[in-house]
Amino acid sequence: MAKQRLYLKGNEALAYGALEAGLNAYFAYPITPSSEIPETLAKEFGNKRYPDYKFFLQAASELEAVNMVLGAAAGGARAMTATSSPGFSLKQEALSYAAAMELPFLVVDICRAGPGLGNLGPEQSDYFQGTKGGGHGDYKLIVLAPSSVQEMALCPRIGFDLAFKYRNPALILGDAFTGQLKEDVEFPELTPTNYDTSAWATTGAKNREPHIVNSLELDYQKQYEHISKIYEKYQQIEANESLFEEYLTEDAEAVVVAFGIVARIAKGVVNRLRQKKIKVGLFRPITLWPFPKNPLKKLASNGKRFLDVELNSGQMIQDVRLSVGSGAVVDFLGKWGGLVPTESEIESKLRRLEVVAV
Amino acid sequence: MTQTITAVQPRAFVKVLEEQCKACELCVVSCPSGNLKLSSRLNRAGFHPAEFTYHGTKGDCTGCAICYWVCPDFAISEIQVKA
Amino acid sequence: MSQLALKVKLGKIKSLTDNPTHYCAGCEHGTLTRLIGSTMDELGIREKTVMIDSVGCSVLAYNYINCDHIVAAHGRAPAVAAGLKRVRPELMVFTVQGDGDAASIGLLELIYAAQRSTPITVFLVNNGIYGMTGGQMAPTTLAGQVTTTTPYGRDPALTGLELDVSKLLGEIEGAAYVKRASLVVTELESQRGKVYTIKNLLDAKKSVENAFKVQALGGFAFVEFLSTCSINWKMSVLEAKRFVQDHTIKKFPLGVYRDTFGVEKK
Repeated sequence: MAKQRLYLKGNEALAYGALEAGLNAYFAYPITPSSEIPETLAKEFGNKRYPDYKFFLQAASELEAVNMVLGAAAGGARAMTATSSPGFSLKQEALSYAAAMELPFLVVDICRAGPGLGNLGPEQSDYFQGTKGGGHGDYKLIVLAPSSVQEMALCPRIGFDLAFKYRNPALILGDAFTGQLKEDVEFPELTPTNYDTSAWATTGAKNREPHIVNSLELDYQKQYEHISKIYEKYQQIEANESLFEEYLTEDAEAVVVAFGIVARIAKGVVNRLRQKKIKVGLFRPITLWPFPKNPLKKLASNGKRFLDVELNSGQMIQDVRLSVGSGAVVDFLGKWGGLVPTESEIESKLRRLEVVAV
Repeated sequence: MTQTITAVQPRAFVKVLEEQCKACELCVVSCPSGNLKLSSRLNRAGFHPAEFTYHGTKGDCTGCAICYWVCPDFAISEIQVKA
Repeated sequence: MSQLALKVKLGKIKSLTDNPTHYCAGCEHGTLTRLIGSTMDELGIREKTVMIDSVGCSVLAYNYINCDHIVAAHGRAPAVAAGLKRVRPELMVFTVQGDGDAASIGLLELIYAAQRSTPITVFLVNNGIYGMTGGQMAPTTLAGQVTTTTPYGRDPALTGLELDVSKLLGEIEGAAYVKRASLVVTELESQRGKVYTIKNLLDAKKSVENAFKVQALGGFAFVEFLSTCSINWKMSVLEAKRFVQDHTIKKFPLGVYRDTFGVEKK
């Protein structure tokens, strides 16, 4: 598709990004603050710019939607569904199944305040659910955390590529703020990646052995071997696919660790403090799983101190602490309920971090 | 298999895969000519499999294939009739 | 004495594997598996058929039916089937579900598949109980019936009456074929004494064929098959057949509840 430049909400940008990445089928269920995604995709159905976009349907429930995605993915199609936190809880069963069935598809969670019905404000409290596995069993999702409208547009392509490369579901973990934010987006000239699904997709057993897309294995030894192969796959993903951004970290004495919208706010703080000649930087994980532990560890080994800022009561900080080791100083600033920390709140925490030296 | 042919020639034959039979007896009770009964043998699963008797209690096998359709397993695997 | 030359009238069903089934002795799941397999042979659709296995006694069908399979989560089979069919409309997609899978946890997915005229085929094996999990109450358990979660008999005042899925789906205009058939052999008194007839079974076979034909015509096809569960009903195989004949079929009459394309008349 030819390149284009638009002024869009994060959710809309994500929808267009999925179309540019060659989305075949979208199964919807509305929930605020993610509904612009299905609404955009409903509107663009039939747009000749997207010849791969073959099917849109609003399902009757979150469960129905994600299981339709699963069925479409089993047939080799590029399928996606989006939701927000309460709906994300409902989808966990299907994600557990899909990981065991080794199916590639995209789920989007535009995280809102919780737990329970919460409100429509931004939170990052689904970090555990997304990265540690909200469904039963021991599996992982590939998790991408966009922090701008441009990144919302790029994540579907990255997500589909990784999902199909490794045959695993991928999660785009946004937040209500980034979903609703409006910015310029550029869509570069792009052709969708061609994924070869002929080895496993259920396309009809013609001239080949049947493909059984299944997560049940009653023989314990066989199950052990099947899941062990999946864990080897996860190790490969951890070794090769983590994405992150380091901003002015090289000479920084204190580093803010943040993702999503919080990283945008933190960048503003870093810039302001740098103007005052205070050496701070930002470390921004873009893949929350695989978590970029090695570059973070490297920063810790250079004696830097860390301030982890999240819209929750402390979730990513556990991965940060694991990465940097017990010697490093890691402080925490959390906000929840839909509230977002101000620049001055982050700044004063950072300053205290400088004072609190080991 | 060898079989002594008596005065009446069998017009049809039912092939039973004994290892697949679970002795549910549906074929035994459904056969209109009483040509099937549970044998005294035991298969690997511990069932007495059904066996085909050429001359049933109520007549000879006609190849009606009722047993073929009523068998819930893959035990009644073949119905042969006059060529 | 010469041997009469015989030829094979009915033989190996190509669409089925050689694996012995795990179904209990006399279980209609096995009967349905054979009917589906032989219909796939007759219609020549094996190579383009995908079965969506569901959670319950039918979950291991991928070991018996020789085509592509997706094993769905409990109740979700119609949604998985719909997702696959929508991106690969050239495939013949069908589900086999128990009464718990389809009429309890999966009722939404089933109703909406009918409501939207999704061109898939759903086979429901109604044996009035949760078999695989050891005999708990199902939506179709008869009032007064003893199960492990209704040890004193199902009380309609608390749990409601039996859910009539065929009647429910028959009301949905989007469905093209809604039929209730029976896989259970019926006992008849005749001059020759007690005989068992497979009249219902042969009609059930035709229903399987109709259900695939309706999908090929672009409609949603649903067949509910009355069945037994002798183990969990705590009866012998033949006693269980009798129970359906004496009780179940009176609560769930056989018949055509919707036939938009008129396939039953052909």
